[in-house]
Amino acid sequence: MIKLTVNELPVEVESGSTVLEAVQKAGFNVPTLCYHPKLVPYGACRLCLVEVEGAKTLQPSCTFPAAEGMKVHTDTEKTKAARHFVLSMLFSERNHFCMYCQDTDGDCDLQQAAYDEGMNHWPITPAYKPFYVDTSHPDFVLDNNRCIICRRCVRTCAELVGNHTLGIEERGSANILVADGNVPLGESTCISCGNCVQVCPTGALIDRRSMYQGRETDLTHTNSICMDCSVGCYRVVKTRDNRLVRIDGDMDATFADGLLCEMGRYNPVKENRVRVNEPLIRREGKLQPISWDDALNVVSTQLKAHDSTEIKAYISGRQSIENLSTFQNFFKDNYKVGQTALFGHDESAAVSIELAREFGAFESDLGALEEADAAVILGADLVDDYPVAGFMLKRKPGELFNMVLVTKEENKLADNFSNRLVSVGENYEQIINLLACHKTAGSCEETDQIIAEEGLAARRAYRLLESVQTWQHPVIIVGKDFAKLENLETLKKLIRYSQEVGAKVIIMKGDTNSFAASLLGLEVNPEMGESPVAFYAIGDGHACHHAVDGMKNGGFKIVQTSYMDEFAELADVILPSKIWAEEEGHYLTTDGRIELNRQALIPGVQQRSVSEVLAGLAEKSGFSLQSDWQAVVTDKISSIVLA
Amino acid sequence: MAKPKVASDWLAGCAGCHMSFLDMDERIIELTKLVDLRATPITDLKEPDIDGVDVGILEGGISNSHNEEVAIRMRERCKILVALGDCAVFGGVPAMRNFVGADEALKRAYIETESTDESGKIPDDPELAVLQHVRPVSDVVKVDVFLPGCAPHADAIFHVLAELAQGRMPEVNELTNKWH
Repeated sequence: MIKLTVNELPVEVESGSTVLEAVQKAGFNVPTLCYHPKLVPYGACRLCLVEVEGAKTLQPSCTFPAAEGMKVHTDTEKTKAARHFVLSMLFSERNHFCMYCQDTDGDCDLQQAAYDEGMNHWPITPAYKPFYVDTSHPDFVLDNNRCIICRRCVRTCAELVGNHTLGIEERGSANILVADGNVPLGESTCISCGNCVQVCPTGALIDRRSMYQGRETDLTHTNSICMDCSVGCYRVVKTRDNRLVRIDGDMDATFADGLLCEMGRYNPVKENRVRVNEPLIRREGKLQPISWDDALNVVSTQLKAHDSTEIKAYISGRQSIENLSTFQNFFKDNYKVGQTALFGHDESAAVSIELAREFGAFESDLGALEEADAAVILGADLVDDYPVAGFMLKRKPGELFNMVLVTKEENKLADNFSNRLVSVGENYEQIINLLACHKTAGSCEETDQIIAEEGLAARRAYRLLESVQTWQHPVIIVGKDFAKLENLETLKKLIRYSQEVGAKVIIMKGDTNSFAASLLGLEVNPEMGESPVAFYAIGDGHACHHAVDGMKNGGFKIVQTSYMDEFAELADVILPSKIWAEEEGHYLTTDGRIELNRQALIPGVQQRSVSEVLAGLAEKSGFSLQSDWQAVVTDKISSIVLA
Repeated sequence: MAKPKVASDWLAGCAGCHMSFLDMDERIIELTKLVDLRATPITDLKEPDIDGVDVGILEGGISNSHNEEVAIRMRERCKILVALGDCAVFGGVPAMRNFVGADEALKRAYIETESTDESGKIPDDPELAVLQHVRPVSDVVKVDVFLPGCAPHADAIFHVLAELAQGRMPEVNELTNKWH
């Protein structure tokens, strides 16, 4: 610990802390612009200058290391004058006229800094030099005229996301923010995660859909969980007058630094399918409105008209645990239908449960990615399917990290690493054998043979395995292409290997709530159709073409859906469903965290959740529903994911 | 003691700050108990008294030779000069012109506008004031009180004038320092 004083108040901080951290710990506030708690301090803006006794000049507190006995002053004539000067220079450099900017009154850190300094005019006349505006990106606009070159966006893109798209070109006051060394953003390597927009302190990077639609203080903020994959990132849903305006990452969260990906940030606001607002029934080939009561009577009659074992019921993995549990209770426990299953072909959650039967709690949480120095990825596409988990690897130092990547198709993650073994195909078992061999031996015959066969190109890649004994924190990530029930024996071999070498294992488990669905006993990878009556609770999800094709073969089709799409068009009865933001419910992430999705929007009068619909049907059928999901899910996850 | 005299004028602005002044509604009656409201663009008297006023208020930026003259005259005739609104304080919306230059702005407005036909012509009457690089009032004359905002809230205008009328310089705080 280091002892120092801030404005004569003694404070103790850990060694390695910055002066800014000491100042904040002492309870004082120093204005900052380029500083962001999730980023490595950079010292670009000089707004946080403080006086350190004995130092010749003022020092930027965000980068200056705290030292024993240091005497820091934050609010002297000298620091005030310096802050005033720094702000004057910033305002003079570009177009910082607030009256035609999207970010004002509480949304802009630059304006707020001026308010805090009591600055009510600009001492230096602006330069009026126009800068490049990039409107090529579909989700946000880059306006260099509003940029203060704090590089928060550049650092976020590199340090947090690992994408390295944004950079600064030109020198001094001519600095401009560019993508890929000056390519329009919309044509660049940008992956549209939007984290740069969220950290921008001014109006230089602004969100297209929510711009000029109200200040942060005009919007209702609902802290929630992302359900666009099963990673479970924390997000803030921002609404106004019951309309979804924008989604941001919850940067107060420690998990994954509060980052979001394109799916989590933009998919919900980009939704453009037509909403189903009332129950519909097919009469004379056309879907026509019907009352809820009549609709439930039709559904109830259809369900009773057939042998229940011939009936099938499918539900989307995007549904809450409450809905999944009620669904299983209604169809399996009470109605005893032939099959209750999830949409899709992802068997990974079922595989994980199967493996836990033999190995007990064998999995790690996603936090293991943070400290990993090596990763073996088998059949998982983190970049496309679980982007934020992908960020946690992409941002690793590319020269130091060891990456073994075995995927069915080429994988974008490969490009970020120079120490890599990339194998395209399904050679999971071969790689496991090689890893096991190199665990004890420096060289292995099989490796030498591969190098001999595949030539020089493979040489460097396979030599990576020779370093396996030096890996301190290896992580093994298994995805849907490998995590199949048919591969169970090979997977067991992998788990045994991981336990021998102390590697952490993470199985990426399908859609949002696939893990919970499997724990509740829902089947996976079903054959759709082929039943006289089927119930499809697709909700706000998207059915794949396989589901659409399969459904065509079925008999009477009851579809509970939020949107009219290709899938819903095939229905005989459509029951209007709430969307993700319209009902509260729990979600189980791929690594076993139970998280709450909070309601952010009020649904239409006729839109009902799966649980509400099934409660109505249960009443008509004369049985009562039970949904004690907590006991089932909570008990089981502890036996799968390591605490 | 005689009530302090107040005069105002507008330069390159939209009159919105004066509208905001009127937005103080019935408080104008309170205000006239404190001050002697003299020349303003919305009263009959148009020029500040030759023998001077106590408080002069200017809305809008300096965009041409006429604005410059009006600003200098107001400065000469008042003891305390108030820059009212973002245009007077920063240059504001008229200053957007500076990014392209007056020639380009005139061409766009009088020739290239979608609603203009071939007869479009940039006004060139010698009587017209000469366009300048748009500046905040403080770039031309000394300003004593800055009241930013687009437009400043009526509460802020009332507060500033009431303070000045009672011989106090208004504080820079959340009410009086709100840019938009």
